[in-house]
Amino acid sequence: MSVRGVSRSYRDGSRSVLAVEGTHLDIPEGKFVTIVGPSACGKSTLLNLFCGLDQPDSGSIETPSQGTGALLGRIGYMPQQDLLMPWRDVAGNAAVGLECLGVGRQEARSRALGHMRRFGLEGFEGSFPGQLSGGMRQRVAMLRTFLCGRRINMLDEPFGKLDALTRASMQAWLLDYWQEYRCTILFVTHDIDEALFLSDVVHLMSPRPGRIVLSLEVDLPRPRKYSEVVTSAPFNALKARLLEQLGRQP
Amino acid sequence: MRSRVLPPLLLGAGMIGAWEAYVRIARIDILLLPPPSAVALYLIGNVGIFVRNGLATLSELLVGFACGVLIGLALGVLMQLVRGFRDAAYPWLVATQMVPIPAVAPILVLWFGFTLVPKAVTVALMCFFPVAVSTVDGLGAVNPELIRLMRSFGASPWAIMRMASFPSAMPRIFSGLRVAMALSVVGAVVGEWVGSTRGLGYLMLQFENRGETAGLFATVTVLTAMGIVLFFLVGWVEGAVIPWRRYAKETL
Repeated sequence: MSVRGVSRSYRDGSRSVLAVEGTHLDIPEGKFVTIVGPSACGKSTLLNLFCGLDQPDSGSIETPSQGTGALLGRIGYMPQQDLLMPWRDVAGNAAVGLECLGVGRQEARSRALGHMRRFGLEGFEGSFPGQLSGGMRQRVAMLRTFLCGRRINMLDEPFGKLDALTRASMQAWLLDYWQEYRCTILFVTHDIDEALFLSDVVHLMSPRPGRIVLSLEVDLPRPRKYSEVVTSAPFNALKARLLEQLGRQP
Repeated sequence: MRSRVLPPLLLGAGMIGAWEAYVRIARIDILLLPPPSAVALYLIGNVGIFVRNGLATLSELLVGFACGVLIGLALGVLMQLVRGFRDAAYPWLVATQMVPIPAVAPILVLWFGFTLVPKAVTVALMCFFPVAVSTVDGLGAVNPELIRLMRSFGASPWAIMRMASFPSAMPRIFSGLRVAMALSVVGAVVGEWVGSTRGLGYLMLQFENRGETAGLFATVTVLTAMGIVLFFLVGWVEGAVIPWRRYAKETL
């Protein structure tokens, strides 16, 4: 997916706010790409544009399969909130994405059931969201998005609300899953450690108007082990560069 | 269970006891205020009449309620899906509730005769409104983030309505249904007052004309019992239809 000079402003009362300005971004096939930025840097605006919920004022977004055509329903999207439906059980919630694509209810459910073990939800197929832990809820939400089988999946701060321990295990799990299935992942976070640990490329965004101010290749070997990676010298060197750039911003 | 049933029963028994005592001690004329014991005796002595007329009222009420609920739901969904229709129709829906039902009911009798229809229409007129309003409110209160997510999955507006908005509106819709059920009891009786040959409302008029106050009170008792049972029946159906409420810590 390639993003060429995308800008988007919106109206806040009488004034016009530039949320994203002239953003260029390449998301190569099969890579794990992360956008890091402070809050209110236009990350959400960018994601809305990527998944076709909103149109840019200028610039273009291209995907290999669609060209510049409609993006709606073409890119997997997992929002910050898990947005599980309290009236559906785990399998039913995981099937929502497929059902939206027109897959029959029974068929969608049975496909979802086939992934329960891989997503650590075995034995909870019939549980309701209110009965699940935060980590499990996120896995259900992730399964819902991944089941749609998109080549590009955008994850918006998926682990933001989890406690540190759950978070670490979810990160390891996600890497594992991604290495098995090799879809393209666009990950958004404000956690620098998380970004470097997971990604092939990290893009740093500036505060509003959002712009990519630094792009880093993370050439740490895979598979990565959290305890080893985050204490290694190359990791710390990359982290130092990101922090330095962040500190430079007004 | 005990804690939910016992207090109202105790309170009821206390009030009935006080009523009985007052009527007896103050020697109130039975035509003005019959003691509960006289009402109970009348009820037991004429069970057949009350069952026959109670069933007549019940069928009018249920037919009217069903029609009113269907119309209310359809209007609610339509108003939510079609913005323009909502803006155009809302004030007129409010207007229907400003029309005094007793003023309209005689016309309904002129149109439909002394049948079940005018009563059912009266009931439907009264109970479609709370259902329509609660449906519109409930459908509009769905988490907008969920709608965005489903749009990103490529869902159609109808799929969003069916999978997200409608289930999440269910608790509110049931609040509307409870109000509608309570109103439909009144609606059925008003419909019968205007023109009927049977039903609890008809019975009330007969007792009033004949000065049988105990019979009148007995009729009111039957009507009240019926209304209470129906009201709680809606709550029971809600529990059966919305089993997830037990687990839902948050509402979407």
